[in-house]
Amino acid sequence: MNSVIYHALSQKDAKEFDIQHPGTQRAEAFVRAFLKRSMPRMSRQAQEDHLQRKAVVLEYFTHRKQKEKKKKSKGLSAKQRRELRLFDINPEQQRYSLFLPLHELWKQYIRDLCNGLKPDMQPQMIQAKLLKADLHGAIVSVTKSKCPSYVGITGILLQETKHIFKIITKEDRLKVIPKLNCVFTVEIDGFISYIYGSKFQLRSSERSAKKFKAKGTIDL
Amino acid sequence: MAGQVKDREAFQRLSFLYQAAHCVLAQDPENQALARFYCHTERTIAKRLVLRRDPSVKRTLCRGCSSLLIPGLTCTQRQRRCKAQRWTVQTCLTCQRSQRFLNDPRHLLWGDRPEAQLGSQAGLPWWHSG
Repeated sequence: MNSVIYHALSQKDAKEFDIQHPGTQRAEAFVRAFLKRSMPRMSRQAQEDHLQRKAVVLEYFTHRKQKEKKKKSKGLSAKQRRELRLFDINPEQQRYSLFLPLHELWKQYIRDLCNGLKPDMQPQMIQAKLLKADLHGAIVSVTKSKCPSYVGITGILLQETKHIFKIITKEDRLKVIPKLNCVFTVEIDGFISYIYGSKFQLRSSERSAKKFKAKGTIDL
Repeated sequence: MAGQVKDREAFQRLSFLYQAAHCVLAQDPENQALARFYCHTERTIAKRLVLRRDPSVKRTLCRGCSSLLIPGLTCTQRQRRCKAQRWTVQTCLTCQRSQRFLNDPRHLLWGDRPEAQLGSQAGLPWWHSG
């Protein structure tokens, strides 16, 4: 096979092209001189060692920089959650009656917010204030809902997170109700307001900072 | 200086949440989770709307876990002497975070100064007073 690829030039061709046949001695000398010129620091021994023994690195594997751990002294978010900031199951022992003073406090707060019991003017103002107000401690009930088992639940609102309400009913049962597709009723001093839960998918703290726009249809 | 409407509502909400947390703790001293939740909500609202709080109120809230600090119930309060000064050290029992306050009878908080009471001069820095 080799004869097909490599074909020695005949003498005539060599003379024509003026190619000189380099002897092995000359080749070696040439290579050594070249190496010496390119790597003046290394001695000849080291060069030979290098060529004969050292492994050639074909690919480079760099150590990936370890991600810097984010140190936040005020945050501690993962640990915080772990410490059960939310409810424990013990409140099953807590009676509904323990939360009644909270409800009284809420009523006073709302009365104070609206400057009066029944200002007959501007129900819009009341609604606007209710949007920014805090609902913890209010008595809410579910009037309409896509899931029929939720309808009719009444109780004091204990916690409000992004998607749910946590309510404790008169029978001391803690109910978790999703806000989506539900209509809640809040009653204050004869004023009944309906809250469409689908538009309320915000944490209660964000709600006081956000402006509400009328978007889309209001139905469940 | 009349307070702006939005801020006043927000402040009312903050104060309501604070009172609610106290109320809940008063009813049931063992369940601190709900009080912590309310204080956390409060802190988020204040952060979001950038509201300034009185230092006496701020001191009763833990900065790490945002629980309501009541000495004897949720936190320990000790008085220590350090570098010839008297410090009060408050340690939250849930997150073990401690706060130190200097107890100097000569030191007056900015809020207690008479200049701060007048609404019109509230913004002046301390060196501006006569």
